Amino acid sequence: MMKSHRKYLAGAGALALLLAAAAADAAPPAGRLLAAQCAQCHGTNGQAVGGMEKLAGESESEIYGELIKMKANIKPNEIMHRQAAGYTDAQIRLMARYYATGGKTTATGTPTPSSNTGDSRRRKSHDD
Amino acid sequence: MFSHNRRKLLQASGVLLAAGAFPLSLRAQLAAPRVVVIGGGFAGATLAKYVRMWNPKIQVTLIEPNPTHVSCILSNLVMTGAMAMTDITIRYDNLRTKYGVTIVADRAIGIDPVNRKVSTQNGTVIPYDKLVLAPGIDFDAIPGLDPAVVPHAWQAGPQTLALKGLVQSVPAGGTFLMSIPKAPYRCPPGPYERACLVADTLLRNRRAGKVIVLDANTDVVAEPHTFHTAFQTTYASVIEYHPSTTVDSVDWANKTINTNWGPIRVDAANIIPGQRAGKVVASAGLLGRDPATRWASVNPLNYESTLVPNVHVIGDSQGTGQPKSGHMANSEAKVCADALIRYFAGEAPDPAPMTNSACYSPITAKTASWLTVVFGYDAATGLMKPVPNTLAEAPSPSSEHYKDMFGWAKNLFADSFS
Ligand SMILES: Cc1cc2nc3c(=O)[nH]c(=O)nc-3n(C[C@H](O)[C@H](O)[C@H](O)COP(=O)(O)OP(=O)(O)OC[C@H]3O[C@@H](n4cnc5c(N)ncnc54)[C@H](O)[C@@H]3O)c2cc1C
Repeated sequence: MMKSHRKYLAGAGALALLLAAAAADAAPPAGRLLAAQCAQCHGTNGQAVGGMEKLAGESESEIYGELIKMKANIKPNEIMHRQAAGYTDAQIRLMARYYATGGKTTATGTPTPSSNTGDSRRRKSHDD
Repeated sequence: MFSHNRRKLLQASGVLLAAGAFPLSLRAQLAAPRVVVIGGGFAGATLAKYVRMWNPKIQVTLIEPNPTHVSCILSNLVMTGAMAMTDITIRYDNLRTKYGVTIVADRAIGIDPVNRKVSTQNGTVIPYDKLVLAPGIDFDAIPGLDPAVVPHAWQAGPQTLALKGLVQSVPAGGTFLMSIPKAPYRCPPGPYERACLVADTLLRNRRAGKVIVLDANTDVVAEPHTFHTAFQTTYASVIEYHPSTTVDSVDWANKTINTNWGPIRVDAANIIPGQRAGKVVASAGLLGRDPATRWASVNPLNYESTLVPNVHVIGDSQGTGQPKSGHMANSEAKVCADALIRYFAGEAPDPAPMTNSACYSPITAKTASWLTVVFGYDAATGLMKPVPNTLAEAPSPSSEHYKDMFGWAKNLFADSFS
């Protein structure tokens, strides 16, 4: 038992490096999953098609402000007001920040220039 | 700074973490992790796309026998002639070229969860580290019912065209019957939407006789205000709505539908049978032993089967109680994609996932209504629950909603498949 455990640990060093490399770019940025739940109507990464409102590039305060206003005063004929009511202020903040900072990666995984700046801003504000 | 070092430490011990809390196969640690997806509908396509978009180091193979996906969404408008089949036919090219998903044009027939392998109809064996099942639905058998003769059109494609032909075949003053199965079934408002559009088509063609709607449920399952109003006002002269009515058998030689209230003779029929998870879910052992179990029990944090490890189920086949819609299938797929990415990084899933659904239903040739809800994870029960104040139907159908419907569908199609 002990022996196999030690053997396992020895191999673990090399594996840990590999894992760490994988984990480094795999850890999902804050708000990404939440923000992706807007994409059904507002397009992948907020790039809407066909006349729906796009979210990519909107300012954090604009997205946050609009959603907070919607959920404070739900108009029955507005589907978006019901959606806004589904999220806490903190969740709305995360989504707004994600879109405002362009949390966008290309299919090859290369972060776009906007997501580079976005990343650092996101991390910073996430820490405060 | 401290937290940065701690993160590094945690990463270094990742193997042990992974081996303990989130057992990761040795291969998955050494080489590119392999995700295999069965079924390229709204759920499977979204999952494949988002895993690759978010982490291209993960290999994704999608097994799907059909060369294109024909969407059920908007398919009732193909039935009426407002749209063409090409409008609801979606290609897989973008998944392949834009995101690097490997597509295997085949049907999965066997799953070996111990050795983590899927076998296909053509005899290919495909190994996986994580398997995602997204095969949609399968139907109950009803004695005497042959869907090739009496269509359900609850999977789009040839069935959609068969239904279109059927509506056109109703003689002036004839009787069209449709039946709604017990919930849960795919697309809660869908059957009522269809009843309205059949009635509308017959009225517009001046052939209106009767549209008999048999509902196995005690009342309208979704958007009760919208559909009761439509049935009692807009279509009062055409639609006859019968709740708590089940179809027991079909005698099509005599154009007779046998119900729990007795036989009904009709000119045309659209029987939508009761539904369950796609066949491959049952054959993988994910429904357990009780034959009454229709949907796969999963953990809503990552959609992993509660019975078979490393096999995840998303879309209509899963049994979290969230509505079976394409929009929701897309939503669940993202939660699952995120959890798989975290898993391969040795991390636990997001502890508080959110999902949502939206369905637009045409009520006439020019108006539509909508239904929407947001779900959040409830840690106390381990279930996805509707967030208060989010489950709602449009106050009344409108031409504005009708227009929005196409914007919504366009984005949903694109977000799932391209
Ligand atoms: C008339 C109608 C109207 C609707 N309207 C709406 C709407 O307005 N909004 C909305 O959100 N939803 C709507 N829906 C519901 C929506 O179509 C479904 O919820 C959605 O298609 C579910 O997605 P899925 O990926 O789980 O299943 P599907 O889309 O059915 O995809 C399953 C895929 O798996 C494949 N497959 C199955 N078995 C295997 C196997 N063994 N091996 C390989 N591949 C396999 C199939 O070929 C298929 O491509 C509607 C449905 C109907 C019938």
